[in-house]
Amino acid sequence: MRNRLTFLAMLSLGVATFSLVASAQAGGGAGQAPAANSKPPDLSGDWAPDGRRGGIGQSLSVSDIRGANRGKESDIPYQPWAREKTLSERTSTGPDPQFGNTTDPQVLYCEPPGVPHIYLWPIKTKFIQTPEAVYILHELGPYYRMVRLNSKHPEDPDPQWWGDSIGWYENGDTLVVDTVGFTDKTWLDQMGHPHTEKLHLTERYKRADANTLELRMVIDDPGAYTKPWNAERNFTLSKTGFLRYQQICSVRENRRFEENLAKPALPAK
Amino acid sequence: MTNRSLILAGIVVAVLAVSAQVQAHHGATNVYDFSKPVVMKGTITKFEWLNPHNQIYFDVTDEKGVVSHWIAATEPPQVMLERGWTRRSLKEGDEVTVYIFAAKNGAKVGNLQKIVLADGKELTAAGPASAPAPAK
Repeated sequence: MRNRLTFLAMLSLGVATFSLVASAQAGGGAGQAPAANSKPPDLSGDWAPDGRRGGIGQSLSVSDIRGANRGKESDIPYQPWAREKTLSERTSTGPDPQFGNTTDPQVLYCEPPGVPHIYLWPIKTKFIQTPEAVYILHELGPYYRMVRLNSKHPEDPDPQWWGDSIGWYENGDTLVVDTVGFTDKTWLDQMGHPHTEKLHLTERYKRADANTLELRMVIDDPGAYTKPWNAERNFTLSKTGFLRYQQICSVRENRRFEENLAKPALPAK
Repeated sequence: MTNRSLILAGIVVAVLAVSAQVQAHHGATNVYDFSKPVVMKGTITKFEWLNPHNQIYFDVTDEKGVVSHWIAATEPPQVMLERGWTRRSLKEGDEVTVYIFAAKNGAKVGNLQKIVLADGKELTAAGPASAPAPAK
């Protein structure tokens, strides 16, 4: 872990330095626009889930953010198997949490939550913008994603936890992230909504004002849903700073929480 | 973020944001009674600052001298930091008044709403009892 954190720190410093150099060059009249389709918006800041606008929630369903209506959400166009799969899952949070008996792979195996599931966690996010890529850093893990600008997906991407992400800027205020090549091992959210390797996720990050970042998503997975559907998250600036505390998935600490708090509180069967 | 007022506005927004998301992650309305907190005077025996949730151990002595061992959870450290807590906010031996959303099954565990120290300082962990939206 120490090596990994050191690597992340070096990566952050490196890309930040490079970004500053690149900005200075562009500002110096080099006439070389960043490798993107429009002027890059300023996404800097330490972004925390915005509790005024749904917070972290439980479900990607806009109509059922607390997960109280799982399987019956009006805005999730399930294929029959996907609905059955969702209802078969045992969640670690939500109205009926079964932390010690959950099927959530992020808790059960301490696997990466992937995206968009990571945005259902109470953790902060940070963007490092460089001319050729945007690095999205997460306080959970800590994990990071690389979004290549002016790039293409591989023709046959290997299925991976975070997929293969390319991106571009729109309208001078939005970063668009286009991701394919997901493994099907992750959940879309805390409520167990599944996806397949056909998932094509589009994320649009827009800095609505100095303190607000909006994320609008389109979940297009013809393997699990009958049509694309929309989800959203909102963020606000944090006052304590990114990585002030690292959210680690530790089997040891999870078991301690389970034994001391979660299991004793379970309703009698 | 060009002037002090914007920075202050950001801080206010962050505080409001955090206070509203207290039970958002857990939201275990079928497990804990979020309608009203149980209020107890007790003594801290241990405070663990860790993932996935901080754990507060405290003893409560009833009028007959019988001691009960309780455990309260809060949100993870990175969320509690936003709320003004640190790992040194509580220590063994602290005399406190605890407001806890207790387990419905009668177990001596629950989610902390707030804790009041002997000097009157109040540490808020969760929003008011009415904070969680009713299940749809």
